[in-house]
Amino acid sequence: MKPKIAVFDFTCCEGCQLQILNCEQEMPDLVAALDIITFREVMTERSDHYDIAFIDGSCTTESEIARLKEIRQRAKMVIPIGACACLGGVNCFKNLHPMEDVLKAVYGQAAPYYDTIPARPIHAVIPIDFFIPGCPIVKEEFIRVVQEILAGKAPYLPNDPVCAECKMVGNVCVFDKGQTCLGPVTRGGCKATCVTGGAVCWGCRGLIDEPNINAEKEILEKAGLSIKDIVEEFSLFNACQEDVWK
Amino acid sequence: MDVFITSKADFDSSIQRMIQQNEIYGVKRKTPSFAFDRLVAAEELCLDYDITVLPPTKYLLPPTESLIKFKLAPEPSIRSSAEAQPCILIGIHPDDLHAIKLLDAVFTGSLTDVNYLARRRATTIVGVDCVNPWPYSFAASMGTAIPPRIFDLWLTDLGDEYLVEVGSARGEDLRKRYLKTRRAREVDLRQRNKVRQDWLKKYQLSLDMPPQEIPKVLDEAWHSPLWEELGQKCLACGSCTMVCPTCICFDVRDGIELNLKEGERYRRWDSCMFDGFAKVASGENFRPTGTARLRHRLYRKGKYMLERYGELGCVGCGRCVHACLVDIASPVAAYNRLAKEAR
Repeated sequence: MKPKIAVFDFTCCEGCQLQILNCEQEMPDLVAALDIITFREVMTERSDHYDIAFIDGSCTTESEIARLKEIRQRAKMVIPIGACACLGGVNCFKNLHPMEDVLKAVYGQAAPYYDTIPARPIHAVIPIDFFIPGCPIVKEEFIRVVQEILAGKAPYLPNDPVCAECKMVGNVCVFDKGQTCLGPVTRGGCKATCVTGGAVCWGCRGLIDEPNINAEKEILEKAGLSIKDIVEEFSLFNACQEDVWK
Repeated sequence: MDVFITSKADFDSSIQRMIQQNEIYGVKRKTPSFAFDRLVAAEELCLDYDITVLPPTKYLLPPTESLIKFKLAPEPSIRSSAEAQPCILIGIHPDDLHAIKLLDAVFTGSLTDVNYLARRRATTIVGVDCVNPWPYSFAASMGTAIPPRIFDLWLTDLGDEYLVEVGSARGEDLRKRYLKTRRAREVDLRQRNKVRQDWLKKYQLSLDMPPQEIPKVLDEAWHSPLWEELGQKCLACGSCTMVCPTCICFDVRDGIELNLKEGERYRRWDSCMFDGFAKVASGENFRPTGTARLRHRLYRKGKYMLERYGELGCVGCGRCVHACLVDIASPVAAYNRLAKEAR
């Protein structure tokens, strides 16, 4: 029996769902191995009888809490995908302000008709079985996790920092170019795509399990960043992990 | 000794001809550093470079590499992935060649690694003396600034000319096919000795003892406060090991296709600085702290590898010294400090 798959969107840009669609080469094998029964971005048919729920986006409304609880009840496995679902992501910016102000800023006079609560990652609302980090997710990693689940293995979650892969691909360290980077404390698995492409690491895959935050702050300070800059650096994707880095 | 002279102008056109007929990896500019990369044109080649981001050992032990491919159906079968295309590596520095000598001992010694062996046999090595040692290197004091005799050709920059030393039949073949040379005279050899001595003086960092003494220093250093001091600062990012020419550790993993009928076993560089490196199946981690891992790395470089393979695990290239963002990875700084503590 092929596992029944559902893909759900919560508060997000839906880019991680697009990454699944971007698995063009593997799509024939994917649909041969999986029974995709709910995926709003892709198809109109839907069913509530699924085994594995992939969840894109963070939880930012009361109604989303109820929806997540229902998904948890129905699914054998719940797997958040992407920075929003795994970390809260950029949505957590709004947590820095009173919710009424946020509502007014976005919806103006219609604000009273909307509900909003501080953004949270999925695991803060319901228990999860695994997660696939990244903004967006790396499609090869999505495929690998599916392969591992199909093979009955525990999916592998990289815990080496981005620096390791960044070195493996032969990049010149961005600190050598006078820039700063969260690579030393950020979970790898992205092949350091951003640095390879000429940018820096902003930490979209979240912190590694035991980050040396003091050492990271020290190198950021040495590179000329103020305390405010450092907080901003960490806040972009990791605002919800404030207790770890602040 | 088969030693020849070629003019730089002739050498450039030789390289151009070599590129047309061979797979060549040489040192190219990668601002603000240099990197070994596929050569397309002779003018890309920089032989007066200071350091490359990654050592040339990446061609012998690549960051990721397939080991075997397997099929479960229709009939179960396993096939080795070991194969290699012939290639020429141009611009290897003496210290990196010492590292290759160590890798040879590790991978082609009592146990043969078929993947490594295939790549090593397919690789022709053209090295060059280091004209511009970078400020982080301490190779001169490690005795690794002069090449071991495992090269095919060796170049020494004598100004308008290169002195070319032939180290193997394969090197001689390469010289005959591509290089326009004359035999070197006694005066050329004297000139090589002189410039080599001059370059040795350019190294800014230096080990305070003969390198063979490092194990003795480490024998007394297990309980030094140094490890805790450095361990606290360690990011455990693995940069020091990823850029190291003598680091050889890898993780082995299996991947399976979506059809669950075929797959691949592959290896990928690992690092003893990672939290998970010494974690075993029960969840036990026998080097659970940055302090323990950092100490292990410096013992491995300065003692264990020498005892097991007959070569020190550090060639003094200085890549780790520079790559470490918190300035704690330097073997020379650690060994010098420990020697001082012991006195």
